[in-house]
Amino acid sequence: MSERLPPRPGEAIARDRPVTFDFEGRKVRAFEGDTVGSALAAAGVRITGRSFKYHRPRGIMCMTGSCPNCLMQIDGIPNVRSCTEPVREGSTVRRQNAWPSVDRDVHGWIGVFSFMLPPGFYYKLFHRPRWVWPLVEPFIRSKAGLGKVPREADHDAREVQNHHCDVLVIGGGAAGLAAAAEAAGAGASTIVLEERSEPGGSLLGSADGVGAESLLGDAEAAGARVLVGTAAFGVFGGPLVAAASRDRLHRIRPRHLVFATGATEQGAVFPNNDRPGIMLSSAVELLVNRYRVLPGRRAVVLTSDDHGYATARTLRDAGAQVTVVDLRPQGGTADGFAVIPGSTIVAADGRRRVREVVVGEPGSHGGRSIPCDLVALAGFAAPSTNLLAMTGAELTFDERAQAFLPIELPPNVHAAGAVAGARSTAAAIAQGRLAGLEAAGATGHLTPEMDERIERLRLEAAVDQDPVVLPPEAGAGAGKQFACLCMDVTNKELKTAVAEGFDSMELLKRYTTITMGPCQGKACMTASQRLCSRATGSSFPETRPTTARPPWTPVELGTMAGWRRTPRKESTMHDRHTDAGATFMWAGDWRRPHRYATPEAEVEAVRNRVGVIDVSSLGKFRIRGPGAVELLERLYPNRFADLRVGRIRYGLMLNDEGVIIDDGTVCRLDEDEFFVTVTTGNTAALERWITWWNADWRFDAQVLNVTGAYGAVNLAGPASREVMRALTHSDVSGEAVPYLSATRMEVAQVPALVLRIGFVGELGYEIHFPSMYGEHVWDAIVAAGKEHGIAPFGLEAQRILRLEKQHILVGQDTDAESDPYEVGLGWTVKADKEDFLGKRGLVGLDEVAGERLVGFTCPSEWLPPEGASVVHEGVWVGRVTSARRSAAAGSVVGLAWIPAGWASEGTGFEIQFGSNRARATVALRPFYDPDGERLRS
Amino acid sequence: MTFLITCPNCGPREALEFSFGGETTRRAGPDATDVELAGYLFFRGNVNGWQTEWWLHRDGCRRWFLAERHTLTNEVRATYWHNDREGSTA
Repeated sequence: MSERLPPRPGEAIARDRPVTFDFEGRKVRAFEGDTVGSALAAAGVRITGRSFKYHRPRGIMCMTGSCPNCLMQIDGIPNVRSCTEPVREGSTVRRQNAWPSVDRDVHGWIGVFSFMLPPGFYYKLFHRPRWVWPLVEPFIRSKAGLGKVPREADHDAREVQNHHCDVLVIGGGAAGLAAAAEAAGAGASTIVLEERSEPGGSLLGSADGVGAESLLGDAEAAGARVLVGTAAFGVFGGPLVAAASRDRLHRIRPRHLVFATGATEQGAVFPNNDRPGIMLSSAVELLVNRYRVLPGRRAVVLTSDDHGYATARTLRDAGAQVTVVDLRPQGGTADGFAVIPGSTIVAADGRRRVREVVVGEPGSHGGRSIPCDLVALAGFAAPSTNLLAMTGAELTFDERAQAFLPIELPPNVHAAGAVAGARSTAAAIAQGRLAGLEAAGATGHLTPEMDERIERLRLEAAVDQDPVVLPPEAGAGAGKQFACLCMDVTNKELKTAVAEGFDSMELLKRYTTITMGPCQGKACMTASQRLCSRATGSSFPETRPTTARPPWTPVELGTMAGWRRTPRKESTMHDRHTDAGATFMWAGDWRRPHRYATPEAEVEAVRNRVGVIDVSSLGKFRIRGPGAVELLERLYPNRFADLRVGRIRYGLMLNDEGVIIDDGTVCRLDEDEFFVTVTTGNTAALERWITWWNADWRFDAQVLNVTGAYGAVNLAGPASREVMRALTHSDVSGEAVPYLSATRMEVAQVPALVLRIGFVGELGYEIHFPSMYGEHVWDAIVAAGKEHGIAPFGLEAQRILRLEKQHILVGQDTDAESDPYEVGLGWTVKADKEDFLGKRGLVGLDEVAGERLVGFTCPSEWLPPEGASVVHEGVWVGRVTSARRSAAAGSVVGLAWIPAGWASEGTGFEIQFGSNRARATVALRPFYDPDGERLRS
Repeated sequence: MTFLITCPNCGPREALEFSFGGETTRRAGPDATDVELAGYLFFRGNVNGWQTEWWLHRDGCRRWFLAERHTLTNEVRATYWHNDREGSTA
């Protein structure tokens, strides 16, 4: 901390609030307000990482999160931009991509072999002879990539937050804050997104000029919401802006957008332009003015405008010896520092740190050496148009600005400040105000004299600016000249790639990976374009920048993934099942008991005594109103107009192709009211289906999904009537409550609807009741059934029981081509009805001899799995859809699709799966109680 | 793919709250020819431009309505109940 400069107004650090963190085992002391990068600079750490490919030492370059040089592993999270990451007490900071340490990285030798690592080397080298690649691949893979992905799951809560506003300002610099103040002042709801932890943009580092604080104060006083540490990373149609902050993904839907994304300073290309100590003027000014760290004592500033002189004064005032190298022949005014006009930096030297630069005329191959330990590259800024381009804005090359500027903007998009070409704070603020007012006006927030103010601001915003002078595309001499720091791509490699035929930016990008690294082209787009244009002989304007795509700034995968969500539904009796030792399985979104004891024991209880199964997950609908009958008549091929009140009828549901989409029961509660059940996993889809047709046909019927409102159990078995008698005062005799009847009665003092139906083929009662009474009803049934030997049964037992009755499961035994005739349910189709879904689609299908779904028995030790093939002379002719061992049938029983011609009682066929084979016999009637006497009893 | 849709019942909401029901079609009735049936079941206009289509406010009021949406820009210029518009069929 001895390296801090004396206090100055406007500094970011709170010297009375120290913060300590661990840096590779060493305690680093910093102050609140520091970033990890500024604290390390103050602690004398010059090498902040090793480069991606050649493992060259790299130091702080931008201090704005725009380059790859200072990516570190912080508290386990890899690739954190340490230059903008605020310090936190006790955090752990590690540098990356080096072994054993960044200071002594043994991989530095890779640079010596760079002739072996040309662009696309992994496509070219090591592939012949063919056995070489498998040997070298693991080595290359272990060297590739940055940082280490933590093995522990990230348990941080991540959220999605939606925002809606009139005006969204992207960028909280001078232009953005001015725009927000105007827009919010006019009454528009306004949000500002600022990526860094404090607003102010380029004002933050400046030694003088308008303070960021007053602009922020104006914006907030006007009512704008400023979200700091929140980086916009994508703009989508709508418009929808996606932004990321530490713990959440923001989805913002503004009516108008103001882009005040500023500009990104660009480096210059010359030999060894990546040596630590060579940085952008933004970094120098932020380090000196905000964090009070002097990054070097002998400085060279390369510039072509006033910016470099401001940087030179900042360094001079901090006590450094400064030389300004000015590209303009006339130069600027020396003011306590030397000025070399008409010159550029031709080359740099030094290994772990810049030691000297060679200064000469642009285009020359040599010049005079100037010893230095700091180089500031000032004033070459490229407008950050990438997010703006995602709106479809047209970018046009501007000769004076030597940059692509947004000229044609979509109607709800505005641009202000450096992104629109402003190069002074005054112009940026005027443009910001103008954009803010225009956006407010366009969203209906008009203020008095708005038009006059807009006219006046237009004049202020349109300032005449000097033409930009850029440094030469490249320098001269030995040493690598880097265009792209992220991926370690040099001038020479770009030239090679162009010579190989990759002669446009988009091709160069894909081949050499320029602009594809962590910085996404922020630090290298201009250099890459200019080198590309030089190598191809085209002009800079002809060399379009590469297409920007989200994410524009690095976003953690956890932010995208959000927190873990698995919808899970449980019946109100769920805890009772758990207590009874049930194992559970998924049925759609529901957790349902798979078994309690053994499925065989549960089957035995149902067949001989009584069993109870929780069927709460059945989809349940109440359909009522004058149009209810008409709606059902159209939804089902079966007839319901003649269904008497209190009676139940089975029905298939078809689509207009005539394909089965569901089955279930329809119960008439009243003239105009029906209770409909559907398959568990299909409930949501059927709600959509039924309500959609109801909306389309405009019947006067209400459809209400009451699945969650009613719990339900099925009480089944020869003793079930006895159990019912103990549960209700109502008459439950076969005469009072016959098969396929629906009766309202109290069961265990709870109002219930009792349906005499059963999927398992025994005397049974399906009891529907308000779901809040689940545990009470379950307990009452179990208690009442105790003397009869009641057993709860799960889905596995139910599947055996239903197979013994040859009841189909839609979706299990049928598929997207199954019609009612094929599955033996043609009797439910009343083709004489005027119209129903599937009526036209079914025409003729009853006469098609295709396949049939039939029952089969199979006296085999082997249980054929679902999907086993039915084969005939070695050829596939059908498949098994369900099979279980049945005690009642004394063999394996199942359902299978077979050729229609075989569908007669007793026909034999062969089943095969892998090397297993078995003979099966067609059984057209249920294996158990074929006439349904037990069911109807 | 996300934008705002104005539910006639609930107002403007995120498109992700809705389920898409497809472009409106003319259902092939019981007397349709094979060609009409196939056209209704398997062919869609797939227009590049304004399209009238079904939407369900799935995570809201769970009601179906019609929307006029531009298939290229996702701009939704009108939403209304089917009852309020004569003549169109699903």
